Amino acid sequence: MKKILVSLVLFISALAFASDYPLTVVDDLGNELVLNAAPVRIVSMIPSSTETVCALGACELLVGRDQYSNYPEEVLDLPELGSGFSPNLEAIVALEPDLVLVSESGDLAKQLVDLGIPVYAGTAQTFSEVFDKISTIAKLINHEKEAAFLNLKMRTDLVNIHKLIAGASAPSVFYELDSSPYSVGPESFIGEIISLAGGDNIVTADLGTFPKLDPEYIVASNPEIILLADAAYGESAETLAARAGWSAISAIVSGKVIELSQEQVDIINRPGPRIVDALFLLAQIFHPDMID
Amino acid sequence: MSEFKPKPAANSLRFMAIIFLALALIVVLIIATGIGSVAIPPGQVVAAVWHGISNNLVAVNDIIIWKIRLPRALLAALVGSLLSISGLAYQGIFRNPLADPYLLGVASGASFGAAFAIAFLPSIPLVASLGLPIISFLFSLLAVFLVVIFAFSNNKIPIINLILAGVVVGSSFSAGTSFIMITAKDRAVNILAWLLGSFSLSSWAKLASVLPFYIIVLVLLMLSARALNLLQLGEEQAMQLGLPVSSFKAVIIVLATLATAAAVSVSGIIGFVGLMVPHAARLAFGPDHRVLIPVSALLGAIFLVLADLLARTIISPEEIPIGIITALVGGPFFLYLLKKAEL
Repeated sequence: MKKILVSLVLFISALAFASDYPLTVVDDLGNELVLNAAPVRIVSMIPSSTETVCALGACELLVGRDQYSNYPEEVLDLPELGSGFSPNLEAIVALEPDLVLVSESGDLAKQLVDLGIPVYAGTAQTFSEVFDKISTIAKLINHEKEAAFLNLKMRTDLVNIHKLIAGASAPSVFYELDSSPYSVGPESFIGEIISLAGGDNIVTADLGTFPKLDPEYIVASNPEIILLADAAYGESAETLAARAGWSAISAIVSGKVIELSQEQVDIINRPGPRIVDALFLLAQIFHPDMID
Repeated sequence: MSEFKPKPAANSLRFMAIIFLALALIVVLIIATGIGSVAIPPGQVVAAVWHGISNNLVAVNDIIIWKIRLPRALLAALVGSLLSISGLAYQGIFRNPLADPYLLGVASGASFGAAFAIAFLPSIPLVASLGLPIISFLFSLLAVFLVVIFAFSNNKIPIINLILAGVVVGSSFSAGTSFIMITAKDRAVNILAWLLGSFSLSSWAKLASVLPFYIIVLVLLMLSARALNLLQLGEEQAMQLGLPVSSFKAVIIVLATLATAAAVSVSGIIGFVGLMVPHAARLAFGPDHRVLIPVSALLGAIFLVLADLLARTIISPEEIPIGIITALVGGPFFLYLLKKAEL
């Protein structure tokens, strides 16, 4: 069955999955991007897009990246062009890119449009949008066939993870972004991953997407698992236990404070092709007995 | 008035100095626009400017110069000029060497207004782009009004009162700005980006939005130069010589505040420029405002173009806020003046 499906996809892709240039696409800011030919000098100023381009097998088309794009390893050789919020505009221009991928927030998109450089501004805001964005970027760079395969593989992996954790009870989870403590709401991208991985976020939707929580709220919610995205900034099970009133929290008593590495945080933060890895990572943490 | 009429020889010397400063500004602009992550020799800078003027941008360097670096350098020059003549006007009106848009709390008032505009104005293109400078201006007028009211004592404004009132009003407005940022969650990033200042988002359009204010302020101040000179003799004497002192002062305060608000609305808060530059001008050229206004305008422009050059190259490719550089130079200068003023 699977083989038939794959060959069907192959067949359709051969017919339909070639972008027609000139190609007109409207990005998330409503700007119209016109490409006269498939881009061959791409600059990516946002890690999720960098990862998407490479996952589509087009890594060699990249000529520059933002300072946070650190995956896959081969992009580390590309020139660093600042960050999306404080870009080195001159260096981007000097590379003469025929496509720049940027975030929809910040001023970089407008600056590049003003300079007459082809720019696509947009990142996935929700879990399901990740698949759309992969397709869109693929369309821009004429890699739609690869996108069809990538999306199919990701969806298959997701279904498999979902099967593994089916029927498990959801542990309550507190995800700490920093020691303020800022956390993530269920409608944020990370919040979606938490719930898809079978976790029960202690933050409710009415608190917003990235709320700053009252520590008392966390103590009262008594989460069973705490994920520390700020472990790289010195937070740990010990520093949490030392916070006033926290030592009695279930996760701290039972030793379920997970200090995420920077690489794990990157995987969870980025709405790109590695969302499957993020989901698997969290599913493993939430349901260690159901996943090896 | 005759006390201030320079002798003919001195007059032409000063005229020469103004010409010299104008040339120096052009040289500084050419050098500054040549420096950056891509080094561009002066010859190519001039060529790129020519290509830009004749609307014929060919090379990548043309685009870097004409569309990125030149508008940025010119905006820095304009803001430096605005802050300097603003400081000069405040100092002339208050007859106080420490008056400065930053210390008077005017800049904080302007930035509160801008934060308010960013947070609460609907993002309809024209409303947002016109509303920000107007609201900025209104709040900076409110700030200077409050400072004058609180500093006024026995028909005078003692230096210490002016500085303290400026600090208090300034920090109140800064607190208000912080409050807006915390409550206007989704727009906090925009406010912060704007507050940090920097000329990294310069464009010809931005330049064009400030230029009219600049021309109005500069021309009106030049026309007021003689009256400003009169005022330095003391208010009573100026009144006896026929100057309507109160209304004149009000007009100059409005002009100086307009200059500050125009500067702040495109660049955020940049401190100490309006304090340092007029002093340097006065040290070199004496007290005549007819000379001081153009000299301050040019010196301020040169100073801020150089400060911005440092800000974007010192830890390139990262940029540091230009306010750090002006404060590093201006802080010690302020303390020196404070000491000299012998409060």
